[in-house]
Amino acid sequence: MLQTAAPSSFRPAGPLPDAPLEAYAGPWNVRLAAHLLRRAGFGGSPETVARFAAMPLHAAVDALVAFPASNALPEVPPDLPDESGLVASIAERVRAAGAQRGDPELVELMRQRRQLERHAIQSAQLWWLDRMIQTPAPLQEKMTLFWHGHFTTAAIEKGVTPEEAVAQNRLFRQYALGDVRELTQAVSRDPAMLRYLDNVRNTSAHPNENYARELMELFTLGIGNYTEQDVRESARAWTGLRVQPESGDVTLVERQHDAGAKTFLGRTGNFDGRDIVEIIFEQPAAARFLATKLLSFFVYSDPEPELVAELTKTIRRHDFALQPVMSTLLRSNVFYSARAYRALVKSPVEFVVGSYQLFGIEQAPPDVLPALARMNQVLFYPPNVKGWPGGAAWLNSQTVLARENFAGALMASKDVSGGASWLLAGGPGRPEDAARKLAQTILQGDVSNTASAELIGYLGGEGTSALGELSGENFEERMRAAAYLTMATPAYQLA
Amino acid sequence: MKRSRFLLGTVAGLGVTASLDSPFARALASPALPGLPGSADERVLVVVNLQGGNDGLNTVVPYGLADYYRYRPTLGIAAGDVLTLDAQVGFNPAMRSLKAMYDKGMVAIVQGVGYPAPDHSHFRSTEIWQTAVPERYELTGWLGRFLDDAPLPKDNLFNAVAVAPVLPEALVATADVPAIPQLRGYGLASDRRPGERQAFTSVVAGDARFPFTSPYLGAVARIEEHAERGAAELPKLVGGYVTAASYPATQLGRSLALAAQIIGSKLGTRVLYVQHGSFDTHVSQKATQDRLLGELSDALAAFYDDLAAHGNDRRTLTMTFSEFGRRVAENGNRGTDHGEAAPLFVIGGGVKGGLYGRHPSLDDLDDGDLKYTVDFRSVYATALERWFGRSSRPILAGTFPALSFLS
Repeated sequence: MLQTAAPSSFRPAGPLPDAPLEAYAGPWNVRLAAHLLRRAGFGGSPETVARFAAMPLHAAVDALVAFPASNALPEVPPDLPDESGLVASIAERVRAAGAQRGDPELVELMRQRRQLERHAIQSAQLWWLDRMIQTPAPLQEKMTLFWHGHFTTAAIEKGVTPEEAVAQNRLFRQYALGDVRELTQAVSRDPAMLRYLDNVRNTSAHPNENYARELMELFTLGIGNYTEQDVRESARAWTGLRVQPESGDVTLVERQHDAGAKTFLGRTGNFDGRDIVEIIFEQPAAARFLATKLLSFFVYSDPEPELVAELTKTIRRHDFALQPVMSTLLRSNVFYSARAYRALVKSPVEFVVGSYQLFGIEQAPPDVLPALARMNQVLFYPPNVKGWPGGAAWLNSQTVLARENFAGALMASKDVSGGASWLLAGGPGRPEDAARKLAQTILQGDVSNTASAELIGYLGGEGTSALGELSGENFEERMRAAAYLTMATPAYQLA
Repeated sequence: MKRSRFLLGTVAGLGVTASLDSPFARALASPALPGLPGSADERVLVVVNLQGGNDGLNTVVPYGLADYYRYRPTLGIAAGDVLTLDAQVGFNPAMRSLKAMYDKGMVAIVQGVGYPAPDHSHFRSTEIWQTAVPERYELTGWLGRFLDDAPLPKDNLFNAVAVAPVLPEALVATADVPAIPQLRGYGLASDRRPGERQAFTSVVAGDARFPFTSPYLGAVARIEEHAERGAAELPKLVGGYVTAASYPATQLGRSLALAAQIIGSKLGTRVLYVQHGSFDTHVSQKATQDRLLGELSDALAAFYDDLAAHGNDRRTLTMTFSEFGRRVAENGNRGTDHGEAAPLFVIGGGVKGGLYGRHPSLDDLDDGDLKYTVDFRSVYATALERWFGRSSRPILAGTFPALSFLS
């Protein structure tokens, strides 16, 4: 009926490989190791890529899905400011003056609290980026990011405190490859989530449907697998959950809980929230919904129904335990097929963390935060409860310019020369060799012939710019600029 | 006179000469109404998205309906506070600036706008308004399909601009539409190292023959090329514009100031998109909604002052929308949950001001929600046909009667 051609599914062209989830037994090399590390992590340093390429494929995957029991990274942001004093002062002032809007002392206290919370969130953002850069368990951080975009909660909004946002982040890390059903139960009682989707305001007298709806629509089943009546009945089951002001514990307040009978997804009983989650995970749609999300995040966009059906079976076979599911996926034929290769758009966080790893920068500088905002991804602030849509939505004129400018500024950083010895190793040689090194290390050779020739021309000082030959004097400057240009190519935007 | 200019604009773009009376011309485009200001190929549509689901009942308040106060015991706006429009409805008191524009005949209020089988999800309902296809999942937007369908110069990078950090689905189709949240910082940073800016285009554009395939490769390469070229050109193109109004220091104020600058710089821009919100007022609605409605009406007033000072007000039509209204009864948190039908505003561009559509009944509800009385696609059809002179049928995948606010 519509006259324009629909642009786009971004599903790769061509047929699905046979036995898509069977173990891949083809060649294993640096290019595929880098592919694995981009997907199951953030890209990694050239040394990490070489180390993984030197292992057999199964060992490389095992190293990613088995997390070390502990690591030296801080469990919480080391400089998270304590807002408890201000919170107490505000509460006291409210008691003393009544909750008068416009009370100047209260307004000032609230302003101080907002400022403190902004600083706290910035600390948390940098803490998490540093974890992603430094972690010995990249898939754990990648799954934490996946869950953050799945069970979305924005900090500060709706009274979610920075401490609660960080606690939720730790919950995602704890369950990174755990039991998804248990994670869903835990998230349903997570203070940040209870606030963000208004379940702390859900009472038997006035049920609030926000969490009940999103739990099914966005977190577990997807639209079309429940009715409006199911949303209303579920909302009743979730009534009465509260976060205790002092302890932060979550309790069920009986007098605000609707303990009556509910009919939900065809079953009737005096259900509470825990029962609702159990019933949801009995639905065939639950494994299918998760399979689609995992494939779209880790393999390629718009996965075909046959592939979704295969992974759905795997998820059900493992009863929602994610570690064996991801282990299967990361060693599968489809994962290493040409159709999956560079078939995703890097998220801004993947783009910056991978770039830091590439150039040996261990701590994200604070100016990465506004840069990420320009690329349209702010950690702890998904755009809405649906999370980051990903894919083509990362790409518009504003966001690609922000990526290019980030790469340009990174290559001006002093930290680069200390961390990335590979960039300047060997000193000025032939421009051809310098260009090849950049193309191999940054892009595993995924550079077009024209771009490669232009890079050689730039490095050698030929062509339009007439800069003069590559020499000891201009080598570092030229390599930094050429690295920036390589990172600005379309291929580097793809995971 | 105006009609013939319009015809030159549309038909000449296709290398065809035709008079309005030829069947070919009628098939190509349904004529924009001759009484409207400007020629159809100079007209601009600005869409303001009120994100999060704006509560229509506290925007255009049905103070004359007793049931309103029964459903809104704490949130109801007293009859004495309402900015009266007629014996039944009036503006929220925060909307003085828009009321002043209404009194000048610049504002059409379309009441009870919605669609069949309404969806209560922000995302799905936003998608429905943006794609204008409620029945199924459609990947293109209604404005994107208009841009593809209209005989616009395909090499113009600014046929449409989203003044937003993300390209809204409404503008997605074949054409690339730039998303420009603000001018400052938009573009490639200047040369950090000798010669790199010159080398940039040749290296980054390279060619598209990469040693791998990817469904995204073409899109990334194209968007990068358009972004770099567009960003390099834009400051020169809009640099001569002098803003002639005092905009409120709000995000929406800044967005509309940039929109006016783009319109006034004659880039051939036909569609602009800005956003405002969030209106998702489940809790303590009054403070949030009043602030947002005040910001909306103040920014729109400054926008039309600025447009008028440059003679662009009558060629600029502005339309608001929100993905849904909210439930009729307030919830227990002095807020409202996701609902259905709500009013929207169409401003400027020679609209015939006044109230359109029927206010939904408060005693015949759809399970606690207002039943729609006007399909939103009729509003879109009015803009497409009477403002842009395009046939709405291929764009909206159906026939929806135009409303009379443009005539």
